Amino acid sequence: MTVFKKKPQADTQDWQAMFAEWAEEAPEGPLKNYYLAGMIAPNTLLKDTPLLALDLETTGLDSQKDEIISLGLIPLSHKTIRCQGAQYWMAKPERSLHAESVTIHEITHAELAEAPPLRAILDEILIALTNKVVVVHCVSIERQFLLKAAMETYGYPLYFPVLDTMDIERQATYKPWWKRFGRPPSLRLDACRQRYKLPRYKAHHALTDALSSAELLQAQIAYHLDSNANISDYWI
Amino acid sequence: MEVELTEILEALCQHAPFNEIAEDPQLSDMSKEIEIEYLRSGEWVIEPNSLNKTLFFIRSGAIEVLSKEEKLIRRMNEGEIFGYSSLLRGGKSSQSMRTIEDSLLYRIPARWFIKFYEENDTFSDFFELAREVRLRVAMDSQSSQVSLMTCPIASLLRRPPITIHMDADIRSAAQVMTEKHVSSLLITDNDELIGIVTDRDLRTRAVAQSLAYDTPISEIMTRNPVVMDSHDYASEAVLKMMSKNIHHIPIIKNGRPIGVVSTGDIVQKESHGSVYLISDIFNQTSIEGLKAISHKMTHTFTQLVVADANTQMIGNAMSHIGTAFVKRLLQLAEEKFGPPPIPYCFIALGSQAREEQTIKTDQDNALILSDKYNKEIHGEYFEAFTDWVCHNLDQCGYELCSGDIMASNPRWRQPLSVWKENFSDWIQQPKAEALLRLSIFFDLRGVYGDKVLAKQLNQHIRKEAKQHTGFLTFLARNANQRKPPLGFFRQFVLDGEGKQSRTFNLKERGIAPIIDIVRVHALACGSDKLNTLERIEDIEAAGLLPDGRAKDLALALEMIGIVRIRHQKDQIEAGEQPNNHVNPENLSSFEKRHLRDAFHIVARQQEFIKFRYAGKRS
Repeated sequence: MTVFKKKPQADTQDWQAMFAEWAEEAPEGPLKNYYLAGMIAPNTLLKDTPLLALDLETTGLDSQKDEIISLGLIPLSHKTIRCQGAQYWMAKPERSLHAESVTIHEITHAELAEAPPLRAILDEILIALTNKVVVVHCVSIERQFLLKAAMETYGYPLYFPVLDTMDIERQATYKPWWKRFGRPPSLRLDACRQRYKLPRYKAHHALTDALSSAELLQAQIAYHLDSNANISDYWI
Repeated sequence: MEVELTEILEALCQHAPFNEIAEDPQLSDMSKEIEIEYLRSGEWVIEPNSLNKTLFFIRSGAIEVLSKEEKLIRRMNEGEIFGYSSLLRGGKSSQSMRTIEDSLLYRIPARWFIKFYEENDTFSDFFELAREVRLRVAMDSQSSQVSLMTCPIASLLRRPPITIHMDADIRSAAQVMTEKHVSSLLITDNDELIGIVTDRDLRTRAVAQSLAYDTPISEIMTRNPVVMDSHDYASEAVLKMMSKNIHHIPIIKNGRPIGVVSTGDIVQKESHGSVYLISDIFNQTSIEGLKAISHKMTHTFTQLVVADANTQMIGNAMSHIGTAFVKRLLQLAEEKFGPPPIPYCFIALGSQAREEQTIKTDQDNALILSDKYNKEIHGEYFEAFTDWVCHNLDQCGYELCSGDIMASNPRWRQPLSVWKENFSDWIQQPKAEALLRLSIFFDLRGVYGDKVLAKQLNQHIRKEAKQHTGFLTFLARNANQRKPPLGFFRQFVLDGEGKQSRTFNLKERGIAPIIDIVRVHALACGSDKLNTLERIEDIEAAGLLPDGRAKDLALALEMIGIVRIRHQKDQIEAGEQPNNHVNPENLSSFEKRHLRDAFHIVARQQEFIKFRYAGKRS
């Protein structure tokens, strides 16, 4: 496996500068265009930041051997979620689908058999991601799977700045050890949403889960984040 | 890839009015243009005097609506929508909305709302801005097509009329009845109906009297029988049968009989035995027998509710039954204590007088004695007589009146002249406090005895009331004492001051205020009617209210009334004692929505009478 490029340092968090760097290195094609389009400056205010909630459904949790089977996107700002820009794709896995994960996702073999392979839709996904800061619940999964997909398709890694609703929740519910009592609060998407009295949704549909984390972020902004702060205070 | 926002679509389709257009493929297109916002508690959604451009759907949380004067108008929760009035007017919002809980709101673009509003009638009915129209549409949608209430009497006729000429003799009449298997026979002269004979008549008026078989039938027939027009509703036949205690009604079309409707036909159509119940009552010769029948009343009541009878019909039926108990007890009392030494009239007060009784109410009654009354001579008789009647009414389920407004109370057992003085006193020198207790005396109906006494008293009351506007001012002020709730919020009843409670009294805060309002107007226009709906007709004819407003009161009364009787039916079926306390948790969203409109109409009309009968402050 190729050695990945370094991510921006946590203390600088200048995704704009890094995008410029990757734009030069990336091979010609959609991924280069994605980096060339650039990223917002780190001193952009949260309230001016274009956001895109994203969720993936995969055949399993191991990005090395499991695959993406569906992906949902929904655009939002710090105050408003816009259904109009919602997008959803299914992708046919290269290897066969575990029976187990099929039941979780309620996507059938027949539906997937008719879907295009991931590499055929990745160009479209990149266009949707262009200039956006991505909102996900639990960053590591989405990042790893998309990184690997980009490596396989374009031969170069895909990185993007993220607001992680799970990470925001972890910080919001953080208590020093001497104040902790009992089990730590759950950080599952559904549990986080209930903290803000958001409605219960059926989980495990990529678009519903993207909508779920978009709404969760709205609530977290209303309670914990400062819309007038720089995006660099929050993105990772 | 087709993008379907299932969660959003499903949430919308669970609630009115979107459930009405759930099948419309355009709804999915609309859902794609929705914008979603999360607001913390206490934030403005529509600020005072701001321009609103979207329809809001509350996905979760709650919203409070305030008037320009920042007065609470209503509270809304999950599944409710707002913002449409400003969209329909195309202007600024006259009300302001703010969150009272953390809320997730869907913003639906105005053009989608306008599109569905224009294309779909059921959808647009939902947004009807006039509460009165909204209520009317809702009530219409509720009435059942097949019910007795809406079917014309002619549809119950099963065969052409069986008739015989008035000159025929009893024998041939009986032969025709046997041949045709009928229990009644119409007697005609030149095709015109002049009388009716039933099985019972042959038995009691011919055989038992040992009449010769060649006696003309016209000698035993009932002349000028109660008839109905072919266009009348079947429900009216039931009422006629009950009030007159008859079992056959000839139906007339263009002056000619076209058939006979019997109790059997009605019972076959709708399986309630309220008609039989009344004749059962009159056949009883003992208190035990009457008590036994009184236990069947809850059954009769629930059957009427199940059969989709309206409140007017049920109120009528229950009152006729109540009146039948009173009459029968008085007959038995006259047998027991001997015939009355002087004429008297037993009067019903309140709901029984208005013919609006529901299941089991207190007894409210009194006695008017002829002015020949002499306490020394007649006092003892009437004391024992009324004690016995009131006690046994209680035995039959009509509990003793807690306020002691009963004929057994000497204060309410007076000669006509004393009654007249009483009323003159109440009307000429009204005292608010006292009038509150006395208002039921202004709904007064003679049930048994010399009804002329009741008629004379009622005439006296109407004359006095119309002449003394100060009295109407007091009555109007009293009618304003019991305010209806503002509406509902989740499982609570919401009051004007924002107070929320678990239950409320539908009679005290919905039905009684309407009856009070109508009584004031009725007395003002000198109406001789007692029934609230009939009074409303008189008020309308007298032009006391702006066009249509009188009918609104009738609508509101029916809406609140129907919720009340359904509630009582449910209680009976659950083995509970029926009462008027309703818990909003047991109301459907349809009922909540339209009760709110009805309450609003009542509140507005309360305001109106305050000004209409405003007198000089004493």
